[in-house]
This record gives sequence, structure tokens and C-alpha cells, in this order.
Amino acid sequence: MTRHLLEVEGLRTEFKRGEGSITAVAGVSFHIEKGEVLGLVGESGCGKSVTSLSIMRLLKDTPGKITGGAVRFEGTDLTRFSEKEMRRTRGNDMAMIFQEPMTSLNPVLRIGLQLMEPIMLHLGYDRKKARAHAIHMLKLVGIPRAEEVVDDYPHQLSGGMRQRVMIAMAMSCHPKLLIADEPTTALDVTIQAQILDLMKRLKEEQDMGMLLITHDLGVVAELCDRVVVMYAGRVVEEAPVRELFANPQHPYTKGLIQSVPKLRQKVRRLDSIKGNVPDLSQMPPGCKFAPRCPFAMEHCRTREPELLPIAGDAARRSRCWLTQDETIAQGGDAV
Amino acid sequence: MNETPLIEVRGLKKSFAIKKGFLGRTRYLNAVDGISFAIRKGETFSLVGESGCGKSTTGRLVTRLLEPNAGEVRFEGRDISHMSHNQMRPLRKDMQMVFQDPYASLNPRMKVKDLVAEPVLIHTKLSAKERDKLACELLETVGLNSMHAERYAHEFSGGQRQRIGIARALSVRPSLIVADEPVSALDVSIQSQVLNLLQDLQEEYGLTYLFISHDLSVVEHISDRIGVMYLGALVETADKDTLYDNPLHPYTQALLSSVPVPDPTLARERIILKGDLPSPVDPPSGCRFHTRCPSCMEICKQHAPAFREVEPGHEVACHLYDEEMMKLAR
Repeated sequence: MTRHLLEVEGLRTEFKRGEGSITAVAGVSFHIEKGEVLGLVGESGCGKSVTSLSIMRLLKDTPGKITGGAVRFEGTDLTRFSEKEMRRTRGNDMAMIFQEPMTSLNPVLRIGLQLMEPIMLHLGYDRKKARAHAIHMLKLVGIPRAEEVVDDYPHQLSGGMRQRVMIAMAMSCHPKLLIADEPTTALDVTIQAQILDLMKRLKEEQDMGMLLITHDLGVVAELCDRVVVMYAGRVVEEAPVRELFANPQHPYTKGLIQSVPKLRQKVRRLDSIKGNVPDLSQMPPGCKFAPRCPFAMEHCRTREPELLPIAGDAARRSRCWLTQDETIAQGGDAV
Repeated sequence: MNETPLIEVRGLKKSFAIKKGFLGRTRYLNAVDGISFAIRKGETFSLVGESGCGKSTTGRLVTRLLEPNAGEVRFEGRDISHMSHNQMRPLRKDMQMVFQDPYASLNPRMKVKDLVAEPVLIHTKLSAKERDKLACELLETVGLNSMHAERYAHEFSGGQRQRIGIARALSVRPSLIVADEPVSALDVSIQSQVLNLLQDLQEEYGLTYLFISHDLSVVEHISDRIGVMYLGALVETADKDTLYDNPLHPYTQALLSSVPVPDPTLARERIILKGDLPSPVDPPSGCRFHTRCPSCMEICKQHAPAFREVEPGHEVACHLYDEEMMKLAR
């Protein structure tokens, strides 16, 4: 087995609610290689953000808990790390940027100080060197007048600038893995284009792995190499980005791609997925997408399909009886 | 051709006073700075632009939730821009609004049937029983169930709540619906359901929409004509196909090229604008887009371009398309 940069295997995260618990992430598996951008796509409540928080072990202050599976970073299981070991890993090896650049910066500290803190902590630089490095990072992410901005407070910067600062901070200790949770969702389109351009450039220059969490298929097509589609806490499809858009296998992925209006597409009516995402506490038995699926068959409602490779294409996996019937007919574990 | 437009807006201006500091002088934020457009009966006119461009303020001015500082709004030919509350009231029935946030725009303490029928209570003399019946019919029209009438808003998902908001707007049979980012808060699979519903209702009831959105793909899908706004002003208006096939204003061009397209095989030359939106409190001199414009000329820094028709139905505010100005510039 080759060692992946990040390998998530059978990850399960549950949230306590009253007496019982609800399962937000129910056995999610995927991997990311060095220099690769993996897109994690899905609608609200599908568990994509909880997956990223679980990877970073940032669930401590929530009712959430990892109850199964493994998160291996360069072969080492992070779920077994102590908080102290984890703190060394965060920032150093893996860093994260969040959706809201407004709320992820401390409003009463100057930008520079916030940038210098992880640099001094993780790289062991002294103040002077850390400040120089902070300015260097600000320049790297395309902030004009970096020498002055470093002494500004967050409220003096625009949303796009703040997101650049967050990216600079995340990148400052040269992480091997960057987790970006909806990094451009709160931004205007022209600013989003700037940030996507920046992330593309950084990915090429820095050769790091990236987990990009988004609901925007346009952003996925723009930036990702491979894509994992999540629905109701599960991975339903995994494919290289071109194949995913050219020939989606899972009915949910198909529905998702068809329901997005595309520029110059000129259709009278949009295809839409009927119904709503199921409540996490009232999951249907069988395939979780069956109640909304136009192709649902009798056994879809009773038996949940597994995430299995698609016949003839080892790079693709799908959790659907439609793509699996043949393999099952051929004796089950044909692949 | 010469039929009165349902809505006609001329030279509309609205500014908000902002105070800075303890003894600070009052400054003005020009949210909408002299815009003109018309919406014909039965068409969907969209305003697109980035945050702070004044598109929502325009929606509120058109429905007279705000009173303009200058200019006029004509509804079926009558100037409503300075009407009193009492004069406005009977007209409000004809113009309804659908809001962006389906969580904040529905009173959590009211049952769905009362939410939906509240405009009817205000504008008509129907009895409670008749209102309930109407509410149930409306719920079915927007794809909900009449059984939902007795429930409260929190029991519904975002998409369902937006349907309730649409049912409420429909209840008084308006001729105009101003929809301010009605699908921005929704997931993609739900977004397409609501867009389809809006189109069906338009066909069925002959509605006219003023659709406000930042999403150019959604706007293209739903609109007949589109106005692009930047910092409180319209920079370009055209019918949909003209605008998307042949955008003239450099801002429209950049905006269109910035939209991420869900097609990984597409390699596009992208226009990436420099810098951020300037503050509307202190807009740039001359053309307000000149600080970010890739084809900025000397003249753009001094003179604001006029909003002119360059071909039938296609208006743009840019010196590049003004031959006299271009001569001067040379």
C-alpha cells in the first residue's frame, strides 16, 4: 500500500442530542495525495464541514465526538493523538481556512500579531523574524502595501482582504495539507475570482494537498483534481473531476449537476431533485437518497448499497445499486 | 410597443446619512445614485451586482418601502415616489415582496395559514373562514400541502419556508413581485425547485418580476432583461441574450468572466479585476468603475460617462462606446 498524505477511513462522528445521538458523519472514507486538490461537495447538513472538523480534531467544544474510523496523516492515526500532539500538528502539518473571514480573525488584535503567533509557535522564529515572515506571507497572497497592512486591525480590511489574510496565516508554516471550508462562499464574484486564482497559484507553487469543501460546483470544476460527493453523512460518489462532470454515476450527483443553472445553457426549465434532505435523526432505511431518487427500486428502500468501485474504472466509486448490480451478479466482490 | 410600462424609474436617488464619531460631521452614503429603467408587464427584469451596489435599496424604493431623495417611480403611469402612507396602501396590494432570508421573514409565532393570509386580512374584507380556505389553496399552488396550514414556520426547511413566503406574496394577487435574492440562502437542489416555481407562477398569473440577485447564472436563467449595477448606478441594461452574448461594459465583462462554470473542460481567459469595491461613501471621481477598470482612460478619471443607448434596447454607461468622448480622449 502506498502511503497517502491524508487517508480518512470509515470516519464516524456523532453528536449527543438529549438521550440519544445523531450521526453526522457515518463511515466516510477518502484520501488525498501530495499536490492534489480534493473537493468535498454536498448540500447543507451532509456532513462535509463536520468531516473537516473531525480531521482537524476541532470538535472538543461541541457535543460531537469521533466514534469510529481513522484519520491517517502520512500514515499516523490522528484520532489517537493527545491534544498536545494534535496542537503540534495543526498549523505545522495541516492548516484550515474557514468560510467567514469576518469572524475568524480576532477583532482587537492587529493583523501582524495574529499572523506572527503561529509563526513564532510553530517555526520558532523570534518576533523580528516572524514579523518579516508575516509581511512576506501577506505579499505572497497578493496584499498591496503589506508593510502597512500588517499593522491594521481586521475591521480596516475588506472581506476579500481578510480572506487573503486567513490564507496567509494558514500557509505561513508551510502546511502539507490545507483544509479550506467554503473559502469563497461569503465573497462577491469578482473577489471570489481573485481568491480562486490565488489558491490555484499557491497550490502549484507550494505542492501541498488541499481539501476544498464547497457546495458550489463551479468552484469544484475550477480548482479540484478529484471530487468526493457527500449525502446524508456518507460518501455517495468519488471521481476525477472531469469524469464526474462528464459522466456522473450516482443519481444524486446527476441531480445536483443538472439543477445548477449554467451560463449560456439556455434551458427553459431546470431539472430539480424533488423533496428535501432527510433529517439526520430520521434517516430512511436502505439507501438514504432513495426517497428522492427518480430511479429508486424496491430493494433501494430496504438495503443500503456500499461505496464500491465502478466496474472498469478503479478511480471511481459510487454508492448505488444501479452501478453495482453487475458486480453483484458476477459474484459480489468482483473488484 | 408604446404601452405604459408597469414600472418606470427615472433618475432615482437615495442616500443614507451616516454619522462618524462623537462630533463627527454627517456624511452621506449614496446607495442609489440616479438610475433609470422600466419594466414591462409580464416580464422579468433583474438587477445584478455585488454587495453594496444598491440593488436591494432599489427594490425597496420601487415598492416604496423607502422614499427616494430624488427621481420618480411610476407604477402603471402614476408617480408613487412621494405618496403618503394612506395613498400607498391600496397600491401595496399590487406590489409584493419575497425576501432573501426565509428564516427571518416569517414570524415564528404565527401559524402558516395566518402568515400566508395576513396580506389578505389587511387588504380585503374576506372572513376568517374564507382566508383559511384561500391560504390552503395558496399552499397547494406553491407546492406545499394544505395540511401544513396549522403548523409554524420553524417546522419547515429553508426551501419550504421560501414557498410560504411566495404564497404570502401571491395572496393578494399582485401584478408585481419584487424578489430580493429569493434563492441565495437555498441549497442548489432546492434552489432549482423554487426557480421553477417562480416561472410557473409567472406564466399562470401573468406576474411581473423585479428579480434582485448577485448570481449571474440564476439571473440568466430567470430574466428577460437585466440591469447591471455598480456602486449605486446602472452600468448596463440589455435583454438577456444581448447582455450575455455581447456584454459591453468592462464591469459586465469582468463579472461574467468571474463566474465559476461547472465544467472542468472549459479553459477560459478570465478577466480578474484588481482591488476591492470602493466605498460608496466616497465613490471615485469620474466613472465610478475607473479604479478597477482594465481599459481605463484619462477621461474616465474626470468625467462620468452618460448612460446611453448604443443599440436598440442596449444601454451602457462607458466612454468606450461614446464616439465623441473617444475623439476627445484621442
